[in-house]
Amino acid sequence: MFRDPAVSDIPSMLKTDSLNLLMLGSGLLGGFGHCAGMCGPLVAAWSLNLGSTSCPQSSSPSLAHLLYNLGRVTTYSVIGGIMGLTGSFAGVVRSIESFQDLSMAALGLLMIIMGLASSGWLSFSGKNRGSSAQKGITSVISRAVNRMIRFISGTNTTGSFYAIGLATGFIPCGLLYTAYIAAAGAGAGAHSQAEGFLKGMLMLFLFGLGTTPALFLIGRVVALKGEWIRSRLYSTSSLFMIITGAILIYRAFRR
Amino acid sequence: MKKFVIGLLIILILLPAFYAWSAQGPDCSINLGPCAKTAGTREVILDISPKPVTSMKELTFAVSVIGGNPAPSLFLSLSMPGMYMGRNEVLLKKNQAGKYTGKGVIPRCPSGRRLWQAEVDVPGSGSIRYTFNVEN
Repeated sequence: MFRDPAVSDIPSMLKTDSLNLLMLGSGLLGGFGHCAGMCGPLVAAWSLNLGSTSCPQSSSPSLAHLLYNLGRVTTYSVIGGIMGLTGSFAGVVRSIESFQDLSMAALGLLMIIMGLASSGWLSFSGKNRGSSAQKGITSVISRAVNRMIRFISGTNTTGSFYAIGLATGFIPCGLLYTAYIAAAGAGAGAHSQAEGFLKGMLMLFLFGLGTTPALFLIGRVVALKGEWIRSRLYSTSSLFMIITGAILIYRAFRR
Repeated sequence: MKKFVIGLLIILILLPAFYAWSAQGPDCSINLGPCAKTAGTREVILDISPKPVTSMKELTFAVSVIGGNPAPSLFLSLSMPGMYMGRNEVLLKKNQAGKYTGKGVIPRCPSGRRLWQAEVDVPGSGSIRYTFNVEN
């Protein structure tokens, strides 16, 4: 096991209880001061998909948003636990960096597909499956994408949003990195690796919990007004989803 | 009421972008060498190594206070101007040479922003801020 001396001094600065409160507060503050701007567009983009023609059966947007946030917090907690277990920030991040980029690119692709599906610019409904334009390879691709769309966003299992939340939890984020640094610091100062794991997990759970109100609010408002937005800015909302997806893919491969 | 909520939401989303836009540039070329600032009668010098100063890597922060050593240890806070990045503090302990040193990590911002600020709290002299760019 490797432990960063870089973060080993943090626990001596703060007691565990106050550190946990600090993490919750940091999440709350960061939710509105950071996540709303950085992840808000992402949440708004997939929220626009709720109730659209490509996702007609998501009858409980609140539950979808809760599951999305639960998925996100789950990922944070597990990585936080690993940070605490190893007591190393840089070591863990180095080992998951490629996966983080891959997750971001996959989410970007998902957003683009959702945007295309909700726009109607490309038909994923399967209605045109027999048309001459979609025969051969095009038809195969269309069917594959269609299946993926139905699996991810068009099914009546709201649980798919938990999976989206799990994947979103891997998106690289500066605020999140700071929370991981604190978790690694707490782990480095722990008496055992098990204690370090639990401390790190609890800290990131509280941090994630703190960020939830801001993203839930954004998601719910956009979901509630989604129909209004779609009816007035039909193409624009789809374009917004596609642009958000493209930005995610660009960021994933920029380095 | 609905318009108010939507307006508030738009402001929430745009506020970080506004702060980022309004943030000032660097006042310290940390990659070229240590940065010195005057606080009252004291001169406070910050250096970060290894260079180039890169995010996501373990860094050594060193602070020298010319004109008296104010305390056995100092705190250095790292933040990004215009964007809340959480609380990231480094404890600097005085070594035998009278220099305050400690290790820390500057997180990478996936948005591509590289401007960071180190704030050293020197008892009796207040807070001294150094704004610099890091490599991502």
